[in-house]
This record gives sequence, structure tokens and C-alpha cells, in this order.
Amino acid sequence: MKPEEQYWNPVLETLPREKLQQFQLKKFQNILNWTYENSPFYRSLYKDAGLEPGDIKTLDDIRKVPKTEKSMLREAQGVEPYPYGSILSVPIEQVTEYRQTSGTTGQPVYHPETWQDWEWSAESWAYALYAYGYRDYDRVFLPFGYSINIAFWAGHYAAEKIGCEVVPGGVLDTEARILKMKEIRATAFMATPTYILGMADTARKLGLDPAKDLYIKKITAAGEPGACVPATKKRMEEAWGAKVYDQVGATEIGHWGFECQAQAGLHVLEAFHLVEIEDIETGATITEPGKRGSMVITTFDRFAHPCIRFDSKDVIEWSPVERCECGRTFRLLKGGVVGRADDITKVKGVLLAPTAIEEVVRDIPELGDEYEVIVTKRGDIDDIALKVEINPDFKRNASAIEQKLVQQLRLKTGLRYSLEFHDYGTLPRYDVKAKRFKDLRHKE
Amino acid sequence: MVKEYKTGDMAEKIRLLKQTAIELKRISGGIQAVDRNVDRILASVKMLEINIGDLADINSD
Repeated sequence: MKPEEQYWNPVLETLPREKLQQFQLKKFQNILNWTYENSPFYRSLYKDAGLEPGDIKTLDDIRKVPKTEKSMLREAQGVEPYPYGSILSVPIEQVTEYRQTSGTTGQPVYHPETWQDWEWSAESWAYALYAYGYRDYDRVFLPFGYSINIAFWAGHYAAEKIGCEVVPGGVLDTEARILKMKEIRATAFMATPTYILGMADTARKLGLDPAKDLYIKKITAAGEPGACVPATKKRMEEAWGAKVYDQVGATEIGHWGFECQAQAGLHVLEAFHLVEIEDIETGATITEPGKRGSMVITTFDRFAHPCIRFDSKDVIEWSPVERCECGRTFRLLKGGVVGRADDITKVKGVLLAPTAIEEVVRDIPELGDEYEVIVTKRGDIDDIALKVEINPDFKRNASAIEQKLVQQLRLKTGLRYSLEFHDYGTLPRYDVKAKRFKDLRHKE
Repeated sequence: MVKEYKTGDMAEKIRLLKQTAIELKRISGGIQAVDRNVDRILASVKMLEINIGDLADINSD
């Protein structure tokens, strides 16, 4: 295959590492200069730290630059230029789109886009969709509410940019979306892992087997960690008879990581971002594979609402694979975003990541897709309740399933759980971001 | 990657595109139908810079 058939941009995607790092340094210096000149928020942050853009001469110097986090963005907004406040780095007349974060962790962050920044969003997604194999012959269905959140908007425009035929399935309900996908023979779609599984469930209730009766070959999974949880990915791929690709991004950051067809981990889109990993407890920089930490990320060419050394709280780790077989030189993460630093919590003295529970539940075929974890305190002792559903065909084997679940949970998470078995279809279903993990200890 | 691309030549064409678009806006007399379409062209030109032109700058350093 010719490079231009394999990569959206063979020049940047196969750039030798040394050159790529030079490129990243120059890009970092450029955006730092831009914010210093144009954003009162960033200028004040850097002046208070005694930092001037000229101080950054090497990639190591970047650690001198103060980090930002979501609470700082929230504090800076809500004043003139309204509503974006002092982070806005272009004249407000240049803003052509309004977005906001989902507000899952509090007050939403307002996000302005200029025409140029919006082109950037579509461009960055195009790298990912092309890597998944989206081409101009694909008919891509968007079963997404086209809301005030950024979600799959950029995916829509990126698919258009690649030349795909894009079908906006906005106001339809799930049944209507599935029937439309069947009717027009859509070959690809994009959704959260929760909704991908939920759609398969709904299709089966309609008497359809998504793997046989529809025409889907590629699915882009974004918005939740599911596609990087092997058991969840397997369920999605088997249900749809299609390849599922993990895609990561956030409103403040933009799209920053994707899987290639080798599916050996998540490629960081390093021509557009600089990713650092920091130890969650000590803050020390992690450069070697095998150690998890929190992501600190800089976006290079998004100018209206810049994102510099943003502590995203996404938990990631570098992969030991030095060069992916796909030929891209962009560094790989092992297992994608494995959780959020906010969600990783100590239960009974043990560090627990909710994705580890998901991996266990979804690796047991007798259990349904849905589950719920509730952490409470009984006296001084933590208690974890895990609610699961047994698939109706296996109800008679409940005690054997329970035994398997207890063993696997103990093995993979090192903890004991109060298990609750519910009838299939009775636990909550979600359309977008699922809330399956509830820590009620501080609220009691 | 074995294939060599003419990144320097492409970067020069991108520069000319940008220069032409900016010049068009300068002489538009404020016609919105020109200015707003030039803004969109410049947004696309910026993507060409990000993909090709900015790397050529590194190569020439």
C-alpha cells in the first residue's frame, strides 16, 4: 500500500522521533508565545511564576511552565469577554461556535471555536478516522443528539473532510436509528461504548442481529473508556461483527489519541499535542513504560481557548512497544485511557480503578452488559456493592456464576464485594456517559 | 517511510495561497461575501501549514 493510502498525512505520521520532538518544541514555544501575548489569564499565570516564553529552550524546560486544570478554567470564565473570560485569546468577534463540557464533574466549561479552530478539530479527527479505515466510499451514521456538547460534532466534519457520506441521525430514537442504518446500509458509526452495546440490545429486541442484518464494518467508540477495556471491546465487536476503534479527546483539549489497525494501543496524535505523564501521588514525570500516571497535555494549534499543560486527570501509561507495526512514529499508550485520577480511589486501603471491575464483569459471558458499583461505609469499614444482571439463558447457573465472579474480582481487584444479582434489563441504561460507579462515603 | 514528498515545494505554494487570500481581502472593499469566504479559505490554509508548511520551517532552521 502506498503511504498516502495508509496515512492521512504520511509526512507527519512517520516523522523520525528526533525530528518530531524538534517539531513539538517549536509548536510548544509558539503557543506559549501566543497565550502570553493574547490571554490575560495565561499572562498572569506565567508572570506570577516568574516565567517568560523565552525561558523555554528545550523539551525538559517545559516542566517549568505552570500546569492548568479544569477548576482554573471555570474560575476564569463568566466575566468579560462574556462568557469566556480571560482565557479567550482572540477578539470575540472571531468566535463562530459555542461548545461546553458535559458538566459531569461540575459547572460546565464554556468553549469558543473560531473557524480556524473548528477546522483544526475536524483535521485532528481526520487523522483518526483515516487510521480506522474510513474512506470516501463509506456511509457514516451519527446516532448522536447534536447537542451543545462537542461530542461527535468534529467526527461528523472529519468524516465529511475524508469524503465519506455522512448521515446525521440526530433526533431519531434508538429503534429508528437502527432501522435507518439498515435501510441505507450504513458502513460505519460513532458512539459511546455504552450506547454501542445498548444499540445492539435494541436491535436484538427488534428481531435483528446487528452482525448479520446490518452492514457496519467500523465503529468509532469515544466518550468513555470502554473500547480500551478488552472484555468490553470484545462484546462490542462480537455484537456488531465489526472492528471497534478507541478514540479519545475532551472539549478543552480536542481529539488527542486513536488506535491504528494494528490495535496495539492508543497512538498519541503527537503532531498536534504534547503529552506528559505524572505520578498521581508524587507528581514526578513518568517517561518509562509500565507505570500509570495522570496525563498533562498541551494542544499546539488551537488559538481561541488555548490548552497548555492541562492536567486532564486521565490515567494512562506508556506502552513498551517502541515502534508500532503500522509504521507511525507517534508514541503508543498501553490500553488507552484506563480511568480517571478522580475515580481511582482507596477502598479498604486498596487502590481501585472502576475499569478493573468492568473488565471482570464483561469477561463473564453469562452476565449482562450493565453493572453498578456503590461504595459506602458501614461504621468504619468500607463496603462495595456490585450489582449485575444475569443473562436470562443462564439463570439456572446463578451459583456457579457467582463463584466465578467472586474469584475474578478477588484476583483482578484484590477486594471482596457485596454482590447483588438483578433481573436482566432492570439496571439503569445510559445513552451517553454512563454513571456506574458511585462513591457515597463522603456523603453519608 | 521510503517515499520522499516535496514538502519544501508544497510549503512555498501554501505561502503563496495565504498571500493571495490576504491580498484578496485587502482589496475587497469590505464586501462581506469576499471577506468571510477568505476567512474560511485562510482556515483551510492554516491546516495546510499545520500538515506541511510548519515542518518545512523546521527543516530550514
